[in-house]
Amino acid sequence: MLEQNSRAEASGTGAAVVHVDATAKWFIASSVLYFFIVGIIAIVIAAKFVWPDLMGTTPWLTYGRLRPLHVNGMLFGWLLAADMGLAFYVIPRLCGAPLWSEKLGVATAVLWNVIVLGAVVTLLAGQNQGWEYAELVPWLDALVVVAWLMFGANLLMTIAQRKYDAMYVSIWYVMGTVVWTAFVYLTGNLATLFTTGVNQANLNWMYVHNAVGLIFTPIGLAIAYYFIPRASNTPLFSHKLSMVGFWSLAFVYVWTGAHHMIHGPISQWLQTIAIAFSLMLLIPVWAVVYNLFATMKGQWHQLRENVPLKFLMSGVVFYLLTCFQGPMHSLRTVNAIVSKTDWIPGHAHMAVLGAFSFFAIAGTYHAVPKLWGRALHSQAMANWSYWMLMIGGLGFFVTLWLGGFWQGWQWNNVGIPFIDTVKALQPVWLVRFFSGIFMFAGIVLFAYNVMATVVGSSSEAAA
Amino acid sequence: MFRKADTSAAWAFILATLLFFIGGLLTTVVPPMVDKSWAKPFKNADPAKGITGELKPLGSLEQQGRAIYQREGCWYCHTQQVRTILADTKRYGWRGVDAPVSTPDEFVFDSPHMFGTKRTGPDLARVGGKYNEQWHRTHFKNPRELVPGSIMPPYPWIANNPAEFKALLAYMQSLGRAKEWRPANDYEK
Repeated sequence: MLEQNSRAEASGTGAAVVHVDATAKWFIASSVLYFFIVGIIAIVIAAKFVWPDLMGTTPWLTYGRLRPLHVNGMLFGWLLAADMGLAFYVIPRLCGAPLWSEKLGVATAVLWNVIVLGAVVTLLAGQNQGWEYAELVPWLDALVVVAWLMFGANLLMTIAQRKYDAMYVSIWYVMGTVVWTAFVYLTGNLATLFTTGVNQANLNWMYVHNAVGLIFTPIGLAIAYYFIPRASNTPLFSHKLSMVGFWSLAFVYVWTGAHHMIHGPISQWLQTIAIAFSLMLLIPVWAVVYNLFATMKGQWHQLRENVPLKFLMSGVVFYLLTCFQGPMHSLRTVNAIVSKTDWIPGHAHMAVLGAFSFFAIAGTYHAVPKLWGRALHSQAMANWSYWMLMIGGLGFFVTLWLGGFWQGWQWNNVGIPFIDTVKALQPVWLVRFFSGIFMFAGIVLFAYNVMATVVGSSSEAAA
Repeated sequence: MFRKADTSAAWAFILATLLFFIGGLLTTVVPPMVDKSWAKPFKNADPAKGITGELKPLGSLEQQGRAIYQREGCWYCHTQQVRTILADTKRYGWRGVDAPVSTPDEFVFDSPHMFGTKRTGPDLARVGGKYNEQWHRTHFKNPRELVPGSIMPPYPWIANNPAEFKALLAYMQSLGRAKEWRPANDYEK
């Protein structure tokens, strides 16, 4: 236990090291801004389900143009950028060494912003490659690869120069993210260019699945593993269990891409392999969740006052739920009901918003006061941002599950015309829209709170 | 092996890469080598063996239409796959004839693939020949005029642009037609 304690505390003992953190600051500040901007687009497309003629006759404001902007903006503009910023904050502290190159880091942040702005312009213009999550045109893909190599090289060099021999679990997860993202991204954005039909779809879904499973999951868990012990001032329950979680994730996740085509035109045996490995995902998930819950044993009372910890532990619960749903969806019987319905966005949002964005928000709330050397602008506002996102998120997830399941049943009753299954979902989409308003309010409070801290209008004394 | 990765970053990095590549190669590179139907275009001239027909690459007009379909993100709300689910074959059938299940050999020339993941609107894998030109023009101008309760966005800039409309129509009428699944050959134009 002591050994683990010293690991978790390693960041605090590197007193001699001065962290400049310019890179972390750039990434975090810009990602928070995109979270807010893309949140507006999210509200608009949710509204379009209820009022389909809304802004309907302007090509670049139609659903088909705004949806990829919402998805790419949230995934790459907000979440991945925030995660990268937090990795730039966490890794040097866990290594007891300064970031290898701040210049390279800041250049990466600038390039990342160029990519996000390029994505906005090209997507609204209808330049869409036609693959989910891989909509961006090839020249932007190439820039993403360059930025990723810069990011990876910087962190790997920092890790190579670390002061402590033993590596805390977050370091492996970040290293895993660096290497897996590189290959997953190339599969989804480069290899697809040389294939067609089912072969291409198989590569596309290997990418889509692992964009979440081997990009957002490992970097999100790196953040959760760092900030849960930090925010609660409690050592991690078990180092060995975290190893089980990491190595089983490394092995089983990549096999599951074909579960996106269950019952579809793809070889049955490949579907079966994907299903078998999808069920095995429960192993890494349970290893992680058990470890993080056990860490909190006897410390749950801290959740009352500690906003980052609220986000973190709620995120762990959402992570467990979403990762339980995933393997269940892959079962042929369940899939025949929920696949292609509104259940799926409910599931996807619980992963990306409920779990990984909550981790990133918690990390941001924890890191921003330390990075800018000021107390957080307002604790009360932070608490409100949590409740807004929580209520909005739950409203969003739960209504889409119920609605999606219902929709799937209706589809399987061929006596019901398709249009009646659309009309039946109207109340669901209306509740989703209002849940979206709550979520957006949470985002506004979060973004304002962070920005007010950054520009230095603290209402409290410096920590 | 895993203990060593605890203190050696290089070892952890290599091991993480290796474990990833086992599943990665076996599920992406190997399957098309094992299942040849992914790359062999559908062709059957013998009615005794089931539905006849032949998959041919799209003509240039249909290709233009497909590019519009891709540009406007139609594929976010419309899938193109009749799954091995009874309700799919019934629901996407037409005038009493069940839609044949989609098979990999019908999509050999597709790039980007348009299988889709979400059915906010109905599946379009077999939509080719179900509705005539006038229906599509009115529907693109304002979907709710023909289908009250629809939430599809209106696309007047396509319906009112003869070249774009013609191309998109040609593409849509080609969908699912590699298999000649209408016994009476009663496709609309």
